[in-house]
Amino acid sequence: MIDLYGQVIADHFRHPRNRGALDAADVSHEDANALCGDRVRFELRVVGGQVVAARFAAEACAVATAAASLLTVLVEGLSVDRAAALPEDTLLSALGTTLRPARVGCARLPLDVLRAAVAKHEGNRR
Amino acid sequence: MFDIIRQLEAVGGTEPAVAMATVVAVRGPAPGREGSKMFVLPGGAVVGSVTLGGCIDARAIGEADAVLASGEPRLLTLDLAEEEATEIGFSCAGTIELLVERLELSPDAPLWASYRRIVSEEEAEGACLVRLLRDPARVLWVLSDGRSDGSLGSASIDAAARAHASAAIARGTSGTQPLGDGEPAASRALFEVFRAPPRLIVVGAGPVSVPLVELGRTLGFRITVLDPRPRLARPERFPGAAEVQAGMVSELLSKEPLGPSTAVILTIHDPKVEVPALRALLDSRVGYLGMLGSRRRGRAVLGALADAGLGAEALSRVHVPVGLDIGARSPAEIALSALAELIAVTRGAPGGSLAAGKPERKRGAA
Repeated sequence: MIDLYGQVIADHFRHPRNRGALDAADVSHEDANALCGDRVRFELRVVGGQVVAARFAAEACAVATAAASLLTVLVEGLSVDRAAALPEDTLLSALGTTLRPARVGCARLPLDVLRAAVAKHEGNRR
Repeated sequence: MFDIIRQLEAVGGTEPAVAMATVVAVRGPAPGREGSKMFVLPGGAVVGSVTLGGCIDARAIGEADAVLASGEPRLLTLDLAEEEATEIGFSCAGTIELLVERLELSPDAPLWASYRRIVSEEEAEGACLVRLLRDPARVLWVLSDGRSDGSLGSASIDAAARAHASAAIARGTSGTQPLGDGEPAASRALFEVFRAPPRLIVVGAGPVSVPLVELGRTLGFRITVLDPRPRLARPERFPGAAEVQAGMVSELLSKEPLGPSTAVILTIHDPKVEVPALRALLDSRVGYLGMLGSRRRGRAVLGALADAGLGAEALSRVHVPVGLDIGARSPAEIALSALAELIAVTRGAPGGSLAAGKPERKRGAA
């Protein structure tokens, strides 16, 4: 069933990268899709304006879980500015398949949570 | 019992005292249980009941005015065969001993202060309050964790009372027991056991959970509702719940006391929550684990857990589809069916029809 979404999603759902928590996160943010109940949390460590580590936790569908996993890989090493502005198209392309419009929202949730985490970090810094 | 004491706390603001009737002893197949209580307010209003059918409640009510006026406790021995034979033509049989006394509701009255203290102990799993029947004004209480206060008049009697109280808490049953070396009848003590309400964790804040919480509260459960959806996990949807929390369910579960006196029912109907929640729950000692869903869904979720390494024995703990087969259709009926199964499993009962001719179980087997 999961294979219907393509190899990348199936792989990241079955073998999520960076799932868990950071010992000393600089920021943590969690949110949920109010309708379906997908829930995702990101924890980031930021050094010198650069995201040096990212972890996620999720109780979510395959697409959202895979997107969260993939985002932790994409975001590590980026500056906070680039992380905050990570384009949706970059994520959707990296997922390696064309999602139906109804499922694009599943991938968007972790991206929104990640952006909010970065914004929260920058807000805390000021 | 906790609920009755809490109801009475509201009464304490307006009434100085009530009459309290307590079942002290039950002999034969009488429809009562040691420790059952009924309170009669000065205006005649009644809280609680001393027997399931209410058949001797009238006798207790009849004594209430005199006991309230005199302040003198009365120990009644009621032969139900006689009572019922004359009243309604057939007999429940058995004998019930009933202590009827005036309970002062002022905060510094020792007995009332002890009851309130016991029900305020959220952490203790149980408590026992001990009094000598010949002198019921003296109080000693013991908590399941060993804490104790009060005295029955001598250090040796107190020590014996504490030992018996701890055993009574472990058994979970109230009753009487002679204390000390004196004449057994003169040294009889009443041990009232209070158990903390059993816990029910409902995973899911959807339509079945609403009546599930209502019915569960009526049955005496202390209920926590967990759901990832903040729109649904709202306290106003579940006025009978002690706690309603939105969050990552498997993480919220890890903060709950998941011991044998806790039951969990999953109504969430969503594998992304069910699978991690069940992984956490099957690693615990919860007493009952039910999951809403068809047999097909159940197989799929249990299959995912098996793929994750859980064995058949662990998976057999999950009751899916949840509930007894009562032909439930509506959310309220499904909730009733689930709670009926929970109680049957907890009591080790088969859950069939009582009229179908099941052999009687011994009293106290529950």
